Amino acid sequence: MKKDLIIAVILWFVFTAVGEYWAFNANMFPIAAAEEAVFLDDAFRLLIILAMPVFTLVLTFLFFSILRYRSKGDPDSDGPPMRTNTPLAAGWLAITTGLAIFVVINPGLKGMAELSANPNADLVIQVTGEQWHWDVSYPQYDLTYQRATQIALPADARVKFELTSTDVIHSLWIPAFRLKMDAVPGRDTSFYVTPTEIVDTEMDSNVRVQCAELCGTGHARMQMAVRIMEPDEFEAWVAEAKAMTMSGDMEGMDMGSSSDSMDGMDNMDSESDNMDGMDSGDGDMDMDTDSGMDMDSGDSDMDMDSGSDDMNMNSDSDG
Amino acid sequence: MRTIIQGLVGGVIAFIIGAALLGIVRLAFGLSFWGGEASLVAGWLAFVIGWLLGVGVWEYWVREWFNLPVKKFEATGTSRYFTFCTDHKVVGIQYLVTFLGLFLLAGLLAMVMRAELMAPGRNYMSGATYNNVMSLHGTIMVFVGVAATVGAFGNYILPIMIGAEDMAFPRLNALSFWFVPPVAILLLASVFSNGYDTGWTGYATLASSTREGVIFYNLAFFTVGFSSILGAVNILTTVIALRAKGMYWGRLPIFVWASLGTAILSLIFTQFIALAMIMSLLDRVAGFSFFDAFAGGDPLLYQNVFWFYSHPAVYVMILPGLGIALEIISVFSRKPLFAYKWAVFGMMGVVVLSALVWAHHMFTSGMDSPLRIPFMITTELISVPTGLVFLTALGTMWGGKLILKTPMLFALAVIFNFLIGGITGIFLSDVPVDIQLQDTFFVVAHFHYTIVGGGIFALFAGIYYWYPKMTGRMYNERQGKIQFWWMFIGFNLTFIPMFWAGLNGMNRRIADYVPDLGNINFFTSMSAFFLGIGFLLFVYNMAVSLKKGEVAADNPWGGYTLEWQTSSPPPLENFDTPPEVVGDPYGYGEPDAKHVIFPAPAATD
Ligand SMILES: [Cu+2]
Ligand SMILES: [Cu+2]
Repeated sequence: MKKDLIIAVILWFVFTAVGEYWAFNANMFPIAAAEEAVFLDDAFRLLIILAMPVFTLVLTFLFFSILRYRSKGDPDSDGPPMRTNTPLAAGWLAITTGLAIFVVINPGLKGMAELSANPNADLVIQVTGEQWHWDVSYPQYDLTYQRATQIALPADARVKFELTSTDVIHSLWIPAFRLKMDAVPGRDTSFYVTPTEIVDTEMDSNVRVQCAELCGTGHARMQMAVRIMEPDEFEAWVAEAKAMTMSGDMEGMDMGSSSDSMDGMDNMDSESDNMDGMDSGDGDMDMDTDSGMDMDSGDSDMDMDSGSDDMNMNSDSDG
Repeated sequence: MRTIIQGLVGGVIAFIIGAALLGIVRLAFGLSFWGGEASLVAGWLAFVIGWLLGVGVWEYWVREWFNLPVKKFEATGTSRYFTFCTDHKVVGIQYLVTFLGLFLLAGLLAMVMRAELMAPGRNYMSGATYNNVMSLHGTIMVFVGVAATVGAFGNYILPIMIGAEDMAFPRLNALSFWFVPPVAILLLASVFSNGYDTGWTGYATLASSTREGVIFYNLAFFTVGFSSILGAVNILTTVIALRAKGMYWGRLPIFVWASLGTAILSLIFTQFIALAMIMSLLDRVAGFSFFDAFAGGDPLLYQNVFWFYSHPAVYVMILPGLGIALEIISVFSRKPLFAYKWAVFGMMGVVVLSALVWAHHMFTSGMDSPLRIPFMITTELISVPTGLVFLTALGTMWGGKLILKTPMLFALAVIFNFLIGGITGIFLSDVPVDIQLQDTFFVVAHFHYTIVGGGIFALFAGIYYWYPKMTGRMYNERQGKIQFWWMFIGFNLTFIPMFWAGLNGMNRRIADYVPDLGNINFFTSMSAFFLGIGFLLFVYNMAVSLKKGEVAADNPWGGYTLEWQTSSPPPLENFDTPPEVVGDPYGYGEPDAKHVIFPAPAATD
């Protein structure tokens, strides 16, 4: 049994080495479009690195025992009556406690500190969830979009999302940022993010807003496109958006009223509209950023453009 | 059958009375006689009372209180299982079969979900229908997880293991089972009222604004709680009071310790889920505003109360399973349970810590940010006592003589699956990492690894292990092994990809997803269908072996615990002569080890 122990420990080292090689090098994450995403990925990877020896230890001894000690047919005698081994148990307890405390500190507390390190926002975006769409406003620029189809963000700026809800709990999740926060009725919640990559939803579907808290029928499609721009591009976008407002294009401002007719409760609820299943339009969640991008033109002409309610992300999500 | 008909008649009459009484009160206040949801709730609460009176409370209790002659309705053979029967072995089988049926139903609903998720887009159903299916699947599975294992084996095996003739409160035991059928009826009835789409969590304020079907969910959870609490009282009392002579605490089989921990959790925490359900119902039907932020309430309050039960419930689902796995690993390794006291300490540590971790479900809920830290600490720490169970399993196998029969294979799979479930739990309890993973398929995969991979696999291990004891016949070993590998492979192929999907932008509880996730979901669905077929193999093996299986010996596995020292199946009072425990039940390989003797009755001396 001493020899067995040596073999098993060697195997454990080997498997751990292989596992750690994978843990350090594997490309396991989707696109990371923000500073936070990068260090949260590192946090995830660190947990894999720390968990790997525990994982391989249990698996090595489990499978080693199965292969080494399996008996063909019924054994004619019992195994050795080992009862307990107090130093081993105490050591196990100490090591697992140590590991647990370690992960609390890093990545736990360290990550939390990093996330809230800089509370000075360059840009504030207020998002209100409502079954089943988002209202977005940029208070610094006096821009408000009801039933928004996208969020425009400047790269390399500290952005603060301020969230709330008017009905049930929603959750604003942007997978490419690795961040989410619930939008709770009667409560103001927030999180900070610093986008870094110039990407949008069309390039990668993980660059999107997804409602992540079950909120009823339209939950799956409660999405928005996200577009991250160069800072000067964002300035231009703001200017153009404000010009639209000044010119009194109120229709453009209030996508809610113009798309009320599209309000898709019935659409989502009705059984009949989707029996043809695979029909791409109804069925897919393709986020057409071409039409979606043009936030301030979210009046009827946008919906016309997309032909039916299906190509447009916004109407998809409420409809 | 007579019992069920009496129950239904009693229930329906009571429903009418209950709804009518409320109607009269409503009329007095100038409201309409039929109050919709309010009347349904009143009717239902009366229904449960009427049902219980009908199935046995009248015959067993009320008549006795009023000094009327008690004509016990005694049935024999298979028909016993359809009656209000106080034999703990019958109750155990009633639990087992009922919850296996519910489990199959939940599995079927899972197949429906995977069919819809096979490809992006709307394939077979609307978002609303999908949410209903998902909610019903989740709710039923939680009920199965909470009650199946401890209900079946905590009732059937536990009293025999400690050398008792029956449970401490046999009538209460029957009563706790008979709470279950109306719950099943209620959940199925929710379908006819358009279902409910709140998931098994029923979060405020979705629950107060969604379709009326949600009250069926509230009432079902509320009612099943009674069953849990009564069952827990019974197990606790039985273990404390009815242990055989010489069955000291240090000699208790580990499954008994696990059930004891489970009972403590159920007894303390179930009332909180009842509270959450009542508050939710009052919000909805009586215009309270516990959770309505715009009327002075707080939606997060619901989550706190809900998880205050529902996290400990996770351990209610898994502890008995771990106990079974360790029991089996010892017998099939032919070695004493390694570090027995440490394992007991670990299980009790889990019981204590599980009270202090509930808010780890709320890390992204908008709760006070620094307040998340203590919950991160307690949650990471709960992995420590859990880890002792792994030490015990591995230490027990080390150097043993492993007999890889079906129960052992399932028990080892419990260790394997629960390892993955446990380690991924560490990711979810780390606040920064959880921000990404919360409410994604990573979570779905994680809890299926613990509750299905751990709990349900252990349920299967237990069924195979005790099948000869319960039925007196052997199951088919070859089919059992095939079913094991089928299920083990199918399970891992189904749930491993979900970790990846969650990390890559697939959130949970969605009827539809972005096209980029099409391939992984197609693969998952195919694996899930494969897994689903595995359960049919199980049902086939169990059903056929019941009639055609080899006749089982009293102790086919050579186990030392007490249930193997009596006939298969055991006689009505379990032992012909009362056993006396003289050692611990794990003396494998020790010369002269003895767990129990059956002293000859004094009269014959
Ligand atoms: Cu939502
Ligand atoms: Cu929990």
